[in-house]
Amino acid sequence: MKNPVRASLLVTCLVDLFYPEIGVAIVKLLRRLGVAVDFPPGQTCCGLPLFNSGYHEEAARVARRMIPIFSGSEHVVVPSGSCAWMIKKEYPGLVGDDPAVGSQARTMAERTHELSQFLVKVLGVTRLETDFRGRVTYHDSCHLLRGLGESQSPRTLLGGLPGVELVELPGADECCGFGGSFSVRFPEVSTSILDKKIANIEKTGAGCVVACDAGCLMQMSGGLSRKGSPVKSLHLAQILSGSDPS
Amino acid sequence: MTASPRFGERAAVALKDAFLQEALEIATTKFIGLRKDSFAGFPEGEGLRDQARAIKEATLQKLDHYLEQVADNVERLGGHVHWAATAEEARETILGLCRDRGVKMAVKSKSMATEEIELNEALERAGVTPIETDLGEYIIQLAHEKPSHIIAPAIHKTKGQVADLFSRELNERFAADPEVLTAAARKELRQKFLQADMGITGANFAVADTGTVVLVTNEGNGRMVTSLPRIHVAVMGIEKVIPSMTDLMVFLAILARSATGQKLSVYTTLVRGPRRSGEVDGPEEFHLILMDNGRSRQIAGALREALYCLRCGACLNVCPVYRQIGGHAYGETYPGPIGILLTAMLKGDRAVKDLAHASSLCGACQEVCPVGIDIPRMLIALRHRLDRERIAPLGERLMFRIFGRVLASPALFRLGAALGRLAQRPFVRDGRLRSLPLLFGRWTRSRDLPPLARRTFSERWKDLA
Amino acid sequence: MATRGEFLEKIRREVRRAPGLFAASPAARPDRPTEAAAAARRQMAERWPEALERFRQEFERVNGIFHRVAGLDEVAGVIRDIAREKGARELVAWAPGELGLDLRPSLEPQGVSIAVAPTDGRDDARRRHREAAARAPIGVTGADFALAETGTLILISGAGRPRSTSLLPETHVAVFDRERLLETLEQVGVMLEALHADAERSMSGGVISFITGPSRTADIELTLTRGVHGPKEVHAIFVGTR
Repeated sequence: MKNPVRASLLVTCLVDLFYPEIGVAIVKLLRRLGVAVDFPPGQTCCGLPLFNSGYHEEAARVARRMIPIFSGSEHVVVPSGSCAWMIKKEYPGLVGDDPAVGSQARTMAERTHELSQFLVKVLGVTRLETDFRGRVTYHDSCHLLRGLGESQSPRTLLGGLPGVELVELPGADECCGFGGSFSVRFPEVSTSILDKKIANIEKTGAGCVVACDAGCLMQMSGGLSRKGSPVKSLHLAQILSGSDPS
Repeated sequence: MTASPRFGERAAVALKDAFLQEALEIATTKFIGLRKDSFAGFPEGEGLRDQARAIKEATLQKLDHYLEQVADNVERLGGHVHWAATAEEARETILGLCRDRGVKMAVKSKSMATEEIELNEALERAGVTPIETDLGEYIIQLAHEKPSHIIAPAIHKTKGQVADLFSRELNERFAADPEVLTAAARKELRQKFLQADMGITGANFAVADTGTVVLVTNEGNGRMVTSLPRIHVAVMGIEKVIPSMTDLMVFLAILARSATGQKLSVYTTLVRGPRRSGEVDGPEEFHLILMDNGRSRQIAGALREALYCLRCGACLNVCPVYRQIGGHAYGETYPGPIGILLTAMLKGDRAVKDLAHASSLCGACQEVCPVGIDIPRMLIALRHRLDRERIAPLGERLMFRIFGRVLASPALFRLGAALGRLAQRPFVRDGRLRSLPLLFGRWTRSRDLPPLARRTFSERWKDLA
Repeated sequence: MATRGEFLEKIRREVRRAPGLFAASPAARPDRPTEAAAAARRQMAERWPEALERFRQEFERVNGIFHRVAGLDEVAGVIRDIAREKGARELVAWAPGELGLDLRPSLEPQGVSIAVAPTDGRDDARRRHREAAARAPIGVTGADFALAETGTLILISGAGRPRSTSLLPETHVAVFDRERLLETLEQVGVMLEALHADAERSMSGGVISFITGPSRTADIELTLTRGVHGPKEVHAIFVGTR
């Protein structure tokens, strides 16, 4: 038997604190696919919220802590397009000149994969089994779509599930209005953008909207539940791994 | 003018304007579709956008050279060149020309550069009547408002409002029919074109190699203004210069497609100085005002790429924030995501204290930009400067410093989570947080929040390992 | 006011200070524009039928009205029909030498008066012609280039070829033949490079106008409306060889 693929989970702060069940789903899913998953201790956050608000020294400090944690990882799997983008696209520029972690940052950038990309592009998975049933629609997270140029992998995975009907979301590529601190700096504008997203989700008749970013999920589920909508919002990993693993 | 601190309030007003909401949705959706269709049938578009970006960058690398060249060539063709370091100097140049040449009325074709220097107000104060001749701008001028979109200045007005406005201002009752209203404007403005002493335009491009100033319009007012009055003055930001006619063709191929989905705008006018001998029409005098007004500071600055901007408006149409609030809420000459950068460029960082954050950084703007300006990256850079220059509020800077400490320490991170779990207890209802105090209330005002999980993933990992 | 020297010095300082964002160069220009233009013309001598068809399609797409006649002697007939349809008794036209034909002998006997553009630029003649152009419902011009890719007519102004002829009247009629056809914007670039490389021609004509269909606006509720300032109707008459 060939050596199993080894992957470290970078769980992200939002999943760690608010959505641990997403992390559990990923671990179960990856193990089912024969991946040896580890979870390096000492993780906090990738620093994106600091970076995007302009607090670059603070973000760099966080990055300098995170990078060594994953220095021994063959692959780093991240269940978030925005965090993966931060690590892949911004870490090298942020701490690249730092003699202690500069080269590690570049290595980490290369080895880091957003979950759907890891499944499709690294593991070569396109068809999975799940006991999840029903009609779902997919929302493109901005950083995954435009930051990492990925629109196909999540759709391939969802489309390949027996028992799951994937319907295209009108305006799937439009922002949900989250934008990190934007959502609390300008809550009215943020919610107004969200209302449009929710109207589009409801148009599809799907029972569930799927995304690959906990930020978008927090925003969309926040709006859906406030409106009393029966539509659920789930992370891709939760659909792929099937029955509620919590 | 420091309009920006009240961005949030202006945005809230815009969100309550039901007509504006509908108009924005229809207009931006239409422009997005037109642009998309136009590039879909144009496989060479991607390559041309890369090339256009490279031309802009190459021009900036030798901007001094190209400015000298364009000036020399304009003068060779019999035109006059003026160098305006500031908005003030640009205005004074035009006012001086008006005084010396007895100009009483000036017709203008749509120009963001003259909006930027608030020329109309200055002309009026000096006793010169400025007439905006782009239909949208004409409507705005009659209504004493400001444009709300770079290429569709009056998208916030209904045809009923325009009919009332025209009926009042032109002393004749007009039906709320775009055809009728357009005909009324044609008749009224035709007289102005023929009477005016001066035509004032901006410039979409200036070709250094030939001294040609290029105007792109759909209505033909750009041609009128450069053909009929005896003096033509073009006001141009220094970043609009491009090296050659060959370069111009690259830009023409993508500009209208990005703005309105047209292959070319109806009129592209290449102005080569004043009327030549034997010509029936065209101005006796041609003046080109090359304006800096804060631009040169960014050649080596963080906003360099914003100097590539063609003012096509594509980034406005796709911006989720612009689409919700429209142009006026930004409170500045240039709205939308690119407008935030241009405002910072022209007025300094303090002017965008709030505006710099008026973006979810979704990246849709960069994706459609014909010259690939990385707007999100520059917004982040601006935010960084707001912190460094201590323009951001002290409370915010402190909060992010503390936040930074917490995220950099697993122990503090765990402690924070534990405290949060305790603090949220009284607020959890049916597994949701529906109303929270303080900053968190800004979220829960309109959305639910999931509570912090009873056990974090880090704690649950032990069970999985 | 800033002087040229101070102004440019400031720019120069900033340019020197700035590391470029990436290695970049302007578009590659033809080394010998005149020869490149001749080559493009040779190419078009072969390809003009395809270019004409593309021009017709694109021109009609932007609401232009296309006509084709077999010879110059048939042009007046088309213009007479347009004038009849509009009830027009007055026309302005480019000088016969610039247009390639004199419409007066065939149209004036039919009751259509024609103000032909003066070529000497004398003030009284200029004023008179300007007034005629402001009054006339139809203006007749030639075209220096007809660009197939976009359905665009390209007109270079000059003595006997006023810009107002294609601008002030409600209907603009442009007459051209196969020599004028180009396929791509890139070729237009080559032609303009060649024009400017020619010291004498580069000084002729204050304006080059690209015209792509009738004047239009969508400024009121995005409703497309034609003829806001320029012509409401644009006709292209292609003169083919017999």
